[in-house]
Amino acid sequence: MSKKNNMITEFGQSISVQNANLWYGDFQALKNINIEIPERKITAFIGPSGCGKSTFLKCFNRMNDLVAGCRIEGDFKIGDVDIYGKTDINELRKNVGMVFQKPNPFPMSVYDNIAYGPRTFGIHNRHELDGIVEESLKAAAMWDELKDRLNKSALGLSGGQQQRLCIARALSVKPKIILMDEPTSALDPISTGRIEELCEELSKNTTIVMVTHNMQQATRISDKTGFFLLGELIEFGDTDDIFTEPGDERTERYITGRFG
Amino acid sequence: MTNKAKAKETFGKAMFGIAAIICIIVVVAIFAFLIIKSVPAFNKLGIFDFVFGDNWAPDRNDTFDTENISGSYGIFSMIVGTFAATVGALLFGGVLGYFTAVFIVFFCPLKLKRVFSSVINLLAGIPSVVYGFFGIVFLLPFLSNIAPNNGSGLLATSIILGIMILPTVVSLSKTSIEAVPSQYYEGAVALGSNHSEAAFMVVVPAAKSGIMASLVLGVGRALGETMAVVMVAGNAPTYPNSLFNSFRVMTANIVMEMGYAGELQEGALIATGVILLIFILIVNIIFNTISKKSVKSLVEKNAKKSSVKKPSPFALIKEKIAAIAYKIKITSVGKVVAVGAGVLSGVSLILIIGFVFVNGLPELITNPHLLFGKYEFGSENVTILPSIIATLMAVALSLIIAVPIGIMTAVFLNEYTKKNNIFVKIIRTAIDILSGVPSIVYGLFGMIAFVKIFGGSSSIIAGSLTVSIMLIPTIVRSTEESLKSVSDTLREGSFALGAGKLRTIFKIVLPSALPGIMSAVILSMGRVISESAPFLYTMGSVISAVPTGYGDSGATLAVALYQLSGEGWYLNEAYGAAVVLIVIVLSLNLLAEFISGKLTRKLKGA
Ligand SMILES: Nc1ncnc2c1ncn2[C@@H]1O[C@H](COP(=O)(O)OP(=O)(O)OP(=O)(O)O)[C@@H](O)[C@H]1O
Ligand SMILES: [Mg+2]
Repeated sequence: MSKKNNMITEFGQSISVQNANLWYGDFQALKNINIEIPERKITAFIGPSGCGKSTFLKCFNRMNDLVAGCRIEGDFKIGDVDIYGKTDINELRKNVGMVFQKPNPFPMSVYDNIAYGPRTFGIHNRHELDGIVEESLKAAAMWDELKDRLNKSALGLSGGQQQRLCIARALSVKPKIILMDEPTSALDPISTGRIEELCEELSKNTTIVMVTHNMQQATRISDKTGFFLLGELIEFGDTDDIFTEPGDERTERYITGRFG
Repeated sequence: MTNKAKAKETFGKAMFGIAAIICIIVVVAIFAFLIIKSVPAFNKLGIFDFVFGDNWAPDRNDTFDTENISGSYGIFSMIVGTFAATVGALLFGGVLGYFTAVFIVFFCPLKLKRVFSSVINLLAGIPSVVYGFFGIVFLLPFLSNIAPNNGSGLLATSIILGIMILPTVVSLSKTSIEAVPSQYYEGAVALGSNHSEAAFMVVVPAAKSGIMASLVLGVGRALGETMAVVMVAGNAPTYPNSLFNSFRVMTANIVMEMGYAGELQEGALIATGVILLIFILIVNIIFNTISKKSVKSLVEKNAKKSSVKKPSPFALIKEKIAAIAYKIKITSVGKVVAVGAGVLSGVSLILIIGFVFVNGLPELITNPHLLFGKYEFGSENVTILPSIIATLMAVALSLIIAVPIGIMTAVFLNEYTKKNNIFVKIIRTAIDILSGVPSIVYGLFGMIAFVKIFGGSSSIIAGSLTVSIMLIPTIVRSTEESLKSVSDTLREGSFALGAGKLRTIFKIVLPSALPGIMSAVILSMGRVISESAPFLYTMGSVISAVPTGYGDSGATLAVALYQLSGEGWYLNEAYGAAVVLIVIVLSLNLLAEFISGKLTRKLKGA
């Protein structure tokens, strides 16, 4: 797609991690994690606050590189590509999109928000951009809502709309994987429902990895669930199994405690 | 990363880095200048004799190598003069400002409140020569009725400086009083105290450290002021023995003599600047300690309120209210004083502006030559057109230099360096120190560094370079503030889409910080127009023909006002120049508010 880039890496859609360890300074936040995340499925990460879910998620698009004093060990592969090897970090992030806990639309128009990613990769043709904006908004089920206010500032949208716009923005560069860190924790139930529907739709073509504190959300939409505790991946398996017959006592205590 | 993209990122980082390096060079150059030029003087004269000697009678022929110097170089009378004037300014401006702030928050009719506050903010931007000019045309003649001399001296200086620091004191005190949690007021009222008791006994004491900080900031401003003082103090190098005798402050010493100083004398003037800078640094340290404490104490107070085992704020309030029985009279007196202060501040500020306008507008209308005339050598017909043009030229060049360097340095510090890097901390501290350096010291630096480079006589380019150095620290600081206020989630959002650092900076961070940066730029513009001390000996002080290029010398409008009012022959023309100056500066202030408001609204999506 990008003309200026002559060494395009083909990223796959599955994620494979072996012996991952991560330190923030002296503090070890992830301890020897192994996981195989299947392609084109929704995988949920659950666990108590501070157990390392976000940290682990951010390893997949190397956002941890921005944190001073953060040190990572282990094999991280997306498809066959070793992402901590000789990969172009921007190309990686183009293929592995991210949606954040709090909606973070840029202070510019709806259109420019969506066009930001494609423009980053050298697309400036207005026609092409129009097409991408429409396609992305349609994929995020927002086209009808927003087609008449494309030139209005994105900050005027409601919280739920902003978050879906951020999803549309992530879709604009056609990522193979989307990471979501508690994408609905700041939203009301109706907006949450919309986003969940959207995820299910997207998972037909895209791998989704989502951190959530909401057990019901995990059971409603995820195919796989991983339970984290104090930097360790305690258990990983089919969501149905994890929630009906957890293999580990700690998982059981956590999910039953939450269900009350 | 592709090689091309990588090269671009490296190039960008290098650009920002180079700006930062230029900034560091400037910082180092100024400190080096101050040290290299003052140390020989301190050595020759002896620090003790210099600071505590009270006879100032320099001899132009003294050099660092002269065996037996024939002049005397003691600045103690000027140190005393500086402190006396500052204390006087605090008595007028500080006390008046304190009560005016209380008035605005508690006793001002709601409709007036906003107008009053924004007028006070605007007045903070009025050039100090205008205050000095008001001193010459109004205050001195008025005081001469009761004075044995023409009215100049400590009293006039204290009043003028007091009015100058008034806006600073009022707006900062007001902010800190308003920051006191409303529970304090409600708690007091719920226990039966009336409005003024709650205000004076509970709320204002809770804002104590913020108010203190505003006073300290006012002191800093008074210490560094030059021109307004020069215009009303008399400037004889003696102690201020009475309210009405000619005396000299340290800044005045520099500006009075730097134009024709001999070698040792010049060293002594720079040493005067160094001593002054040390005082200002002490004031800044006090300010930082107090304002940190005020934030901390508010936070602690709030934390205490919510903790379980609370030594309830009500206990404190009750105790205070017990005392109120005795003090009822005092709070009602306080109310009267506050209202009086509010009225007095309002009246005196309106008086200054009004007086200048009433006298200046007719002059501008009836004497079109003043604004639009052509300069003729030796003619009585003064025109300020050349000065306006020289000012605009200086504004343009100094902003072209200072704004890119300032902004890029801020970007480098904020976006490319680690928070706790010691090197960066040192740069930040140095920049903080520089932003407290009095403008006359920059003038001294410019005169010795730039004027020499550009052929030995003053020129617009030398003046512009001088003020651009003066502007850089402020631009760096305010740009950094704006950059810090851009949420990290936006940066992350951009990186997560695969954007590089440069793109994130140019497309996301800088546009979001634009309102703050723009208003810093416009305020810098206002500062170039308002300043006069750094221009006098770098850019020129003679009103002459319209400059034809940057190599020409020229008086800026503020300098022209100083010159016109000094000799007493051109007072009418001076009024006209003052009106033009005020109008330009106030419009710029309004423009800054308007633009940053508009940009902010646009960013917020309204
Ligand atoms: N930038 C950082 N520097 C140092 N320590 C960090 C940093 N980010 C996270 N940590 C620490 O790493 C651990 C894991 O944090 P992380 O944010 O991944 O937890 P989490 O599971 O996402 O929690 P939550 O559910 O609250 O979002 C925590 O102990 C946290 O304090
Ligand atoms: Mg998290």
